Amino acid sequence: MNAYFMVIAVLLPMLGGVLIPLLPFRKRNTMLVYIEFLVLVTSLLVFGLILNRPEEAFVLFRFTGQLSISFKLDSVGSVFATIVAFLWPFATLYSFEYMKHEGHEKTFFMFYILTYGVTLGIAMAEDLVTLYFFYEMLTMVTLPLILHTLTREAVLASRTYMYYSLGGAAFAFIGLIFILTYGTTPDFTPGGVIDMAKLGGRMNLLLCIYVLCFCGFSVKAAMCPFSAWLPKAGVAPTPVTALLHAVAVVKAGAFATLRVTYFSFGTELLRGTWAQHLLMILIIFTIVFGCSRALKETHLKRRLAWSTVSNLSYILFGVILMTPLGLYGALSHMVCHALMKICSFFCAGAIIYKSGRTYIHQLNGFGRKMPKVCSIFAISGMALMGVPGLCGFVSKWNLAKGAVESGNPLAYAGLAAILISALLTAIYMMSIVVRAFFPGKDFDYSTIGDVEDPNWMMLLPLTVFVILMFAIGLHPQFLTDALTNVVAAVF
Amino acid sequence: MEKHIVNYWILLPILLSGMTGIGLLLSSLRGHIRNKEENVAEKSMADKSLFRLHLLVGIVLVISVVLALLAAWSGERSLTLFYLMDEIPVYFHVDAVGRLFLTITSIVWVTVAFYAFVYMKHEGDEKRFFGFFLLLYSVLVSLDFAGNLITFYFFYELMTLTSMPLVLHSGTKEAIMAALKYLFYSMLGAYCALFGIYFLYQNCDSLTFTAGGTLNAGLTASNSGILLLAVFVMLIGFGAKAGMFPLHAWLSTAHPVAPAPASAALSSIIVKSGVLALIRSVFYIVGPEFIRGTWVQNVWIFLALLTVFMGSMLAYREKVFKKRLAYSTVSQVSYILFGLSLLEPTAMAGSLLHVVFHALIKCSLFMTAGIFIFRTGKTRVDAYDGIGRQMPVTLWCYTFASLALIGIPPTSGFVSKWYLAQGALQSDTGVFRILGPVVLLVSALLTAGYLLPITIKGFLPGKECRVETQKETMDKMVISLLVLAVLAVLLGVLPNPLIQYVGEIAESVM
Repeated sequence: MNAYFMVIAVLLPMLGGVLIPLLPFRKRNTMLVYIEFLVLVTSLLVFGLILNRPEEAFVLFRFTGQLSISFKLDSVGSVFATIVAFLWPFATLYSFEYMKHEGHEKTFFMFYILTYGVTLGIAMAEDLVTLYFFYEMLTMVTLPLILHTLTREAVLASRTYMYYSLGGAAFAFIGLIFILTYGTTPDFTPGGVIDMAKLGGRMNLLLCIYVLCFCGFSVKAAMCPFSAWLPKAGVAPTPVTALLHAVAVVKAGAFATLRVTYFSFGTELLRGTWAQHLLMILIIFTIVFGCSRALKETHLKRRLAWSTVSNLSYILFGVILMTPLGLYGALSHMVCHALMKICSFFCAGAIIYKSGRTYIHQLNGFGRKMPKVCSIFAISGMALMGVPGLCGFVSKWNLAKGAVESGNPLAYAGLAAILISALLTAIYMMSIVVRAFFPGKDFDYSTIGDVEDPNWMMLLPLTVFVILMFAIGLHPQFLTDALTNVVAAVF
Repeated sequence: MEKHIVNYWILLPILLSGMTGIGLLLSSLRGHIRNKEENVAEKSMADKSLFRLHLLVGIVLVISVVLALLAAWSGERSLTLFYLMDEIPVYFHVDAVGRLFLTITSIVWVTVAFYAFVYMKHEGDEKRFFGFFLLLYSVLVSLDFAGNLITFYFFYELMTLTSMPLVLHSGTKEAIMAALKYLFYSMLGAYCALFGIYFLYQNCDSLTFTAGGTLNAGLTASNSGILLLAVFVMLIGFGAKAGMFPLHAWLSTAHPVAPAPASAALSSIIVKSGVLALIRSVFYIVGPEFIRGTWVQNVWIFLALLTVFMGSMLAYREKVFKKRLAYSTVSQVSYILFGLSLLEPTAMAGSLLHVVFHALIKCSLFMTAGIFIFRTGKTRVDAYDGIGRQMPVTLWCYTFASLALIGIPPTSGFVSKWYLAQGALQSDTGVFRILGPVVLLVSALLTAGYLLPITIKGFLPGKECRVETQKETMDKMVISLLVLAVLAVLLGVLPNPLIQYVGEIAESVM
């Protein structure tokens, strides 16, 4: 397809989103149709682009010399774009129902759709400058979404989010400048762009900057010690926590770290250095820390958010292995975690929407009142635990393959951490499931008499996700084949 | 082509019992949702529908068992279903070990189901119980037929998830906590095992079960240190299901709170799948050569012996009957693990014999406990004084099963322990050569000490105790118990075909 379409895919949701508050919709339904149509068209466009990728890049405009906003869809970007483009229409459908009880829908959907465009911009960024540009923009357009309820808690959460994100971006900016100075080009090139002649012998400088840059980008991926914002941001409406704080925004962070590691600094230079080891230790710590906090948490959405913290570090762990199999594991966990976590968040959202209950100890006996949602929640929980036959096992397997193959003792420790975290996942997910389905002998069901399963708008996305989790878990060929090609293109 | 179709027979028993189980569960859940006004789970169904449920479960189970046994005993079969991981298919293969485990599972399952038809009346919610019971049978058949480590692991996890609801069946707070404990220990074990599997995948030629192991000598030479560690972690992990120290604590919590038929099935069969896992991973993937004489073997023997002794001690001190039996399981299953850990053919034959005998014996013992609880409502051993006058048949069955477990000739337990001790003496394991048989003997004494007092007090309660002599009702529970107890004793009198069978297995893997 023509390279123009990339710009259209990015700008269409952005312009269409801005129009939402301006257009005079008579009825709510007209607006919803307009929004879903917008999202679907964009997604179809993105799928079209992925299926026959334009070879050339497209420069939107040039600031000066090397600095430009330009798009190019490569194999790794396609993976991220596929995830986003696939999930957005379903999440939008879900939020139509959910947002009924939150209000201020026009503003909400404006920013919700804007974010879609910005995320696609990150996926299709050709160089670090563009990536950085959209990365900053992502902070700005998602801030109002966290602020949405305008409660004191939301204001504080959005403030935290802003400080963390902007601070992270500042560190990433250092990396950007470094690449512009010592790299041959800011464009993403497999294997890195560092010009050894310019760099001279200043290897430690490079490693320092790399660590700063990685940490900066990993703020969005909620790596410890930069993870505190994510659980707080759980005050946002569930479609936001589900799609943005489990998939789009946080995976944009992971995606950015992947970009700088494999495409800017280059794994050849970094492998086996102290920078790799330091970051790996941080990541391994986050894997266990996130799960432990999830275990301690009694608020349903915050528990899932901490679980996200841990799972994002699985992806970062794959990234930091810096081997083909590591990248392969990272990408497969990116795909699988997106499905599992959005699914469990949507279940949590359905429970909140239908019953108004947000704490785990209030969920006794929900299995009989919301059998569909609770069963799906149980399945997504099992997937997160890594029960074979579901997608979580596949991605853990791929990560483990990378870790064992790397021969790095720290990677073995990371593998152990992943399994410990899987155990903790089993504990914090299954205790909810058991509570919901087996509330105990003397439980009085009349206390939750009016709770019931939600309508099709919420159930359809959930069903699709569950089918996909089983499909990937039982027949991962289509995923693994695609990812093998992606990885082959990078190395 | 014809052969190809015949191989699909393996799936029939799995699908039949699995689908029926799922159907029963769905119908149970729907029933619960329908009765919105009725908060407490319906205690007992109408007699007519109950009879229909029993008929359905009975027929389905018998047909599945017959199909499974046919599939198992009509020659070697293998079936590749579809590819789960790159190059790793879901693969079923019927071999000698699987056949042995499948047969014992089927025997226990049929008798337990028969037993449960009566017993579960007093627990209620029978649809759910039998739903999970059938589902679990289908998972166990798949587990016994699994032909590679990944398929095995797949069904191993499923087994944990489907057996957990049996533990929490009664729905009391205690049962739910016990079920969670069971789940978490099992998961911990499974993840430890997975850690080992990851490393084995990298260092083995294939993960298909092959007698003698598939470890690639070229790859292992360079990193045997980490690989030994991985294998050790895997042993501990799979050992969790078999109640091996240090991951044994769930067993004595989870088995007693389950309804008696479930505890019988758990204690006789589910713990054995931990044993099967160890046999499969050590003798069919890693290969006994790799760990013979290393620290892994020594620690394994030590842990097994420690568990044998500790389990007996704890059982001896325990006053709640079912809990005592659960501790006894901890101890007895570690006899099996001890036999395996010696990596010696005779001892392994003893282990496999003990798998069969212990399954029958422990099932009978738990059934006895169930009958006592069902009829008297009392759970502590000191409440059973004079019970022999009310239920002589039950107590006699219990006594014979106990004698078998202690290992008094000519009962079955004697045969397996004989082989275990002989294997230990023949093995080349240093101090454990002598220490092993000594611990086994001490533990046998303790076994007598914790099992026989119930017989003695039951038949000879002393003069002060006044118990009315009653006629015992011979219902399905007592009949099932009788069948198993007779089998447990008979196999000790006529053990030769079995000994030959397991001897061949043991020879083939060493």
